[in-house]
Amino acid sequence: MSDMVVSVQNLEKRYGGMGRKVHALRGVTMDVPRGSIFGLLGPNGAGKSTLVKILITAVKRSGGGGTVLGRPIGNKDALRKVGYLPEHHNLPKHLTGRQVIEFFGAMSNMPRAERKRRADELLDLVKMRDWHKKKVGGYSKGMRQRIGIAQALVSDPDLVILDEPTDGVDPAGRRDIRVMLQRMRDDGRTVFINSHLLGELELVCDTVAIMHKGNVVSMGTIEQLTRGMQRYEVEVDRPDPMSLVETIVQRAPRASEGDAPSRTRVLATGETIEARENRLFVGTTDAQAIQPVLDAIRAKGGVIKEVRTHRPSLEDLFMQAVEQDDSPGAARGKDGGRP
Amino acid sequence: MITQTLALLVDAYRELCAKKLFWITMGLSGLVVLAFAMVGINEQGITLLWFQLPAEAFGARMTSETLPPGLLYRFMFSSLAVPIWLSWVAVILGLVSTAGMIPDLIQGGTIEAVLSRPIGRVRLLLTKFVGGLLFMALQVGVFSALVFIVIGLRGGSWAPEVFLAVPIVVAMFSYLFAVCVLLGLLTRSTVAALLLTMLFWMVVFVVNTGDNIAVSMHEQIKADLRLQQSRLERMERNATQAILAERNEQRAEQGLEPLAEIRPTDDDLIARDPRIPSRRDTIRSAQSSERLASRWRQGIYIGKSVFPKTQETIGLLERWTVDREALAQLGIMPEDDDKMLAQRQGQQATAEALHARSLWWVLGTSFVFMAVVLGVSAVIFQRRDF
Repeated sequence: MSDMVVSVQNLEKRYGGMGRKVHALRGVTMDVPRGSIFGLLGPNGAGKSTLVKILITAVKRSGGGGTVLGRPIGNKDALRKVGYLPEHHNLPKHLTGRQVIEFFGAMSNMPRAERKRRADELLDLVKMRDWHKKKVGGYSKGMRQRIGIAQALVSDPDLVILDEPTDGVDPAGRRDIRVMLQRMRDDGRTVFINSHLLGELELVCDTVAIMHKGNVVSMGTIEQLTRGMQRYEVEVDRPDPMSLVETIVQRAPRASEGDAPSRTRVLATGETIEARENRLFVGTTDAQAIQPVLDAIRAKGGVIKEVRTHRPSLEDLFMQAVEQDDSPGAARGKDGGRP
Repeated sequence: MITQTLALLVDAYRELCAKKLFWITMGLSGLVVLAFAMVGINEQGITLLWFQLPAEAFGARMTSETLPPGLLYRFMFSSLAVPIWLSWVAVILGLVSTAGMIPDLIQGGTIEAVLSRPIGRVRLLLTKFVGGLLFMALQVGVFSALVFIVIGLRGGSWAPEVFLAVPIVVAMFSYLFAVCVLLGLLTRSTVAALLLTMLFWMVVFVVNTGDNIAVSMHEQIKADLRLQQSRLERMERNATQAILAERNEQRAEQGLEPLAEIRPTDDDLIARDPRIPSRRDTIRSAQSSERLASRWRQGIYIGKSVFPKTQETIGLLERWTVDREALAQLGIMPEDDDKMLAQRQGQQATAEALHARSLWWVLGTSFVFMAVVLGVSAVIFQRRDF
């Protein structure tokens, strides 16, 4: 069995006809490892939902191909082991929470007894046991989201695709959902989350892919993506900390023609150093490498208030990837993602 | 596969049960049957609850002796319940109740969750379509069962043929619901789908009315033509006999044997009756009109063949459940009047021509229409991105 539950190559999607063509996916290639929580990030219109909808057959691809659970996209046997929670889902309001779970179980061809047993388990999992006889139309947004997650899990899927699972959910509900996601991973499922709530994803995702304008611009584990981006942060008592270390700053890094003047300098030892307000950021994770910086600050009479390692957030990664893609030197297409 | 289909049908039923309109429709059906049951007949005439109406209140004398209660209820079923309630009101309520099925299905957040399951799109669409038909079958089934009980208890005879209303009304509803499904798919709007389906039904009604008028005019012209031809024949026969009588008179004077028959020339006939040429002109004109009317009738018939036959389909219920001869004998249906012979013949011929249309033409072409519309819907549904 392949280690990748989702593998797509050169996936293309064009919407619209004459005069209104939108190139939503521009040759997306992506692999989602088995047993992980995979986060798909991107700004609105990046093509995230289109990609997910192609995987669950709600949208037809224009080009490229791929597999889901080792079978071609759209294969019915594979879909039987896929659970999906749409963004802004509209669960049947005339059904009770239990009936919704059982209905989607039936749509996955589950026998009646198994549907009932599974509905019982899931109502406990999503903490909706007390509300299972009430119509969904009377539920709060958070309760609907819980039932939505339960219906996605009813067929005991190997792959769970969740589109904005914490959308509209209160903080306590978000924490519950995070616990559920981790439990799904612990149960051996692969969880594919499509979200723009970076803080939420950062807390649970093992692997992320960042999409922008129909392309995957960055992909890997958070560890891989932040490697080389970790640095030391030194807080001093002065508003112009760069003046404290000017004796060890060698030169400004090479800038491309047309770039804005950079605030980043390079130390004699080769590490980059950047000042922001009363903080200095040194581009290294080696404690030895920042000792000359600390010595230079003290030598100038500066007071060191705090030294700590700084790990970039998912938001930093996201913004960097998107800004790089938007920079004048980046390859640009004729049209953007789907509005 | 059966699990999915059953789940979708049960869901459709639950969805309809959750709608107030479903219960309003059921309540209205009950009220209609209640009104049906309020009417009775005894030896003095028609009764309404405890009120006694005169025996001649509706023209013909109607008492339990001339019109047995069982026949009264059958007559009421065929002349009131079928053409008003089942043909129009129940179908409109059915369309209002089910028009939202497809727009609701394809709205964002619903369709993706269903399509992510291992179910074919065509089967999903067709199962939803069948779900809509089941609603209609349920509604008409309940109505027919109540009518059956009323005829049995109040009329004293059981009439299982009223259950024919279920397949017939559902068939008629299916033509319109197929259009509603297609329009719901195209517009994604319940209101637009409902209004455009009503508009389509109106077009079908206009085409049907045009067809009835064309058949009626053609049959009337044919009846007039036959009348004119019989009058001409009578005039020519009278003229021939007059000429024969005159010749035999002359021959008697000459002592010759009388002739048994004679073949007078056209000039002789015209000389005897000068109205004959104008009568022939009238017939030629009527023949020309008949050919024109025939072409129109044929053209409209061919044009109508591509439309669903809503009224003819409902008409099958009357064709199969009402004994028109029995009613005519009881004086309920007016009999032919000698003074209006041609008109009556025309009307009768029109009714016969419409009734003579084959089951294949009425149901077959309508089902072909429905299949084509559903096929187009299936292709759109299959190819669309959601």
